Amino acid sequence: MVWIRFVLMSLALWLAATPASAQDRGPHVRIELVAETDRPAPGSEVTLAFASAPEPGWHAYWENPGDAGLPARAAWTLPPGARAGPLRYPVPQRLIIAGLMNYVYEAPFAPLVTLRIPADARAGQQLPIQVKLDYLVCTNEICVPEKVELATMLTVGDGAVPTDRRARFDGWRAALPRPLGTRATYQVDGKTFRLGVPFPAAAVVSGEGYFFPLTDGAIDYAASQRVVRDGDRIVVEAPSKRELAKVEGLLAFGNQGFTLSAVPGEVAPPSAASNDWIATALLAFLGAVAGGVILNIMPCVFPILSLKALSLVKAGDNAGNPRGEALAYTAGVVLTCLALGGALLALRAGGAAVGWAFQLQDPRVILFLLLLVTGIALNLAGLFELPTPGFVNRAAARGTGGAFLTGALAAFVATPCTGPFMGAALGAALVLPWPAGLAIFAGLGLGIALPFLLLGFVPTLRRKLPKPGAWMATLRRILSVPMFLTALALAWVLGRQAGVDGMALGLAAALLAALGFWWAGRRQARGASRAWLPALPLLLLALAVVVLVRPAPAGAERPAVAGAEPFSETRLAQLRAESRPVFAYFTADWCVTCKVNEKGTIETEAVAAAFAKGKVAVLVGDWTNGDPALGRFIERHNRAGVPLYLWYRPGSAEPEVLPQVLTQAMLRNLSSGG
Amino acid sequence: MHKWIIAGIATACVAGAVPLAAEPGVGAAVPNFRAYDMHGKIVDLSQFRGKTVVLEWNNPGCPFVKKHYESGNMQKTQAAAVAQGAVWLTINSGAPGKQGHMSGAEAQKFVAAQRAKPSSYLLDPQGLIGKGYGARTTPHLYVIDGKGRLAYNGAIDDKPTADKGDIASARNHVLAALGELRAGKPVSVPESRPYGCAVKYAE
Repeated sequence: MVWIRFVLMSLALWLAATPASAQDRGPHVRIELVAETDRPAPGSEVTLAFASAPEPGWHAYWENPGDAGLPARAAWTLPPGARAGPLRYPVPQRLIIAGLMNYVYEAPFAPLVTLRIPADARAGQQLPIQVKLDYLVCTNEICVPEKVELATMLTVGDGAVPTDRRARFDGWRAALPRPLGTRATYQVDGKTFRLGVPFPAAAVVSGEGYFFPLTDGAIDYAASQRVVRDGDRIVVEAPSKRELAKVEGLLAFGNQGFTLSAVPGEVAPPSAASNDWIATALLAFLGAVAGGVILNIMPCVFPILSLKALSLVKAGDNAGNPRGEALAYTAGVVLTCLALGGALLALRAGGAAVGWAFQLQDPRVILFLLLLVTGIALNLAGLFELPTPGFVNRAAARGTGGAFLTGALAAFVATPCTGPFMGAALGAALVLPWPAGLAIFAGLGLGIALPFLLLGFVPTLRRKLPKPGAWMATLRRILSVPMFLTALALAWVLGRQAGVDGMALGLAAALLAALGFWWAGRRQARGASRAWLPALPLLLLALAVVVLVRPAPAGAERPAVAGAEPFSETRLAQLRAESRPVFAYFTADWCVTCKVNEKGTIETEAVAAAFAKGKVAVLVGDWTNGDPALGRFIERHNRAGVPLYLWYRPGSAEPEVLPQVLTQAMLRNLSSGG
Repeated sequence: MHKWIIAGIATACVAGAVPLAAEPGVGAAVPNFRAYDMHGKIVDLSQFRGKTVVLEWNNPGCPFVKKHYESGNMQKTQAAAVAQGAVWLTINSGAPGKQGHMSGAEAQKFVAAQRAKPSSYLLDPQGLIGKGYGARTTPHLYVIDGKGRLAYNGAIDDKPTADKGDIASARNHVLAALGELRAGKPVSVPESRPYGCAVKYAE
């Protein structure tokens, strides 16, 4: 009889275990219940996924279905002591059918559920997990409510996760929205619902912004929204329906989402808010023209322009073609500005967060400019003369082609100087529609070219210019000083970007180039034929250095947390094995609280000193892009997102989870072992 | 042929008479409308002034509508409302070619087969009444008091499922609102979230 009981039990187990791998085929959404591990440890949490694949043409609904539809409901049958949490949904899609908004999934998606395993579960114990899922699935035409009963069998064990399962769950986790943490506010202004979300200006997001409300009745779902990034916040505007005590929802950019909760409060309209952007664009255009005019006397532009001025002065005597030259010069400036602006706008459309002078964020470009500026400065100082086909020489020479090149050069060199003066106008250029943005860049170019346009077209002005003579050579020497100053500034920028090594490399390249120019100058003075021949290899060598310069690692930009290393669980284990105290913090570019804590506490000198004294190892986990390995680690500490601050004392098994608002005193006390 | 032309002109006139006001809020005066019923007769909302009026959005193909008709819940609610002296207008805003759209004859067949008890079954194939009231789902119910103000807007009950088994334990918001109106009391649940299929409006 014993064997019959054995066979029956095995059969029962087999029947119960089968659904774990079998796929339950719903008529229009194929749903599979998957556990991240089939052998969860007692007292642990295991993530379950409803891996769902809607049939083509059909859609399933998000938690808030929108104007119509229903969210799914799960009824669990669990072993005693086990508890299932709510369904956590990935970022949905929008689907408007006949003017009604639906928040849906048309592609495969997977809501996740956290299941708590009872702490008193014994190893080897079987935990049958059953769930009845009621959900609605629709096409654009019809809706079908469906039901599916899913089951999986878990066995209490060591919590090991099979690699393929890990990869699937990592993908599903990455699709979940991340909690923003910081409280948002909203205001009903007339008929407009305006939501203000703290969001650091430096955080990079891509794709169109949209606010998916979880709370029903706050806004009109089908109406279009306006999502604007405005400094350190995001403002969402939508037609309001009624005022509510609290509005929760999901702010999405493409498939990147942030969950947030908003309370009533004052929300100012976005600064570039005026709907008539034409007025804003016009204002910014005028600002850009004025800024361009001012740029003419900036040290980085002035000397180049002066070259042009000298040639125009010469043109004052004999006929020449001052108007043609002025126009060519203007074209050179404006086209270069437009090209730079266009590239910037294209990058913005591509989703990268770049500022004006973005090309100056690359140390290689900086070094190239440093060499160019040094060369121009040495030329102005009279160290050498440029031979006929030279670049700057042509620029200085008469002729419309030369004038065009001078303009292009002036605009390119002017970019580092524009930042402080033009910040507001260029900021506007980035939030305005692209034609308006380009108009601002054109305005900047027009401003730079304006003085020469006037000189070219008003002969009286030209006659007022002093007569050419020996003073011109003196002026040229004097003008080399601002050019050298520009080179100095570029060297400093290079040092900021590429570190001391990079700066030394850059200065060495400048020295090589200077030697080359000097050598060439000496030969020119002697009237040697092919004066440039020996200098050329030196110049080429200097240019070759450009390729070698690399940006210093990002960590170098945070001097106060010197010694901070990227977080990884292996590195953490190593440091703990060395019985060092470890401070691990998890941050993201879009997390305001994180940034406040970093600036005000973690990156201060007092804390750095305390860390150094206490030999505290600092590990930084950057969750900006939602790295799933970090996500799992954060989840294990019962946090859905960042900030998370962990303090590992040597010898103690579990870390101390520090509060989300840190103080310097707290970190100093911990470092001194208190 | 002649008949159809006249019908077409009449439809255009009726459609023109429908105010395209924004969705009315609870307590606000509702927009008036005129529409053909399933017998081809014109029904004007203002003719019911002084009586309580219930509006019910209908799509016979929608599983959520079926839940309440096949269980007899909708008919029971209709009968109770009419017995209290209220007017029940069932409205179909399904566009031609879409699920649930019906001609007058089809609507008559549906009402007879379901033993439905509306005072009138109205056809709104252009979705003008539906959009004017902000009807989003089938079913979606509105209760208008005798003074022509909106007293209730939302679902038939508080169990948003397609499961007939849930009806017994649900609170019927429409019956509750009608009872409270009759007793001269304020409607305790004046708004709820309608549930069901999206109204199949013309694109």
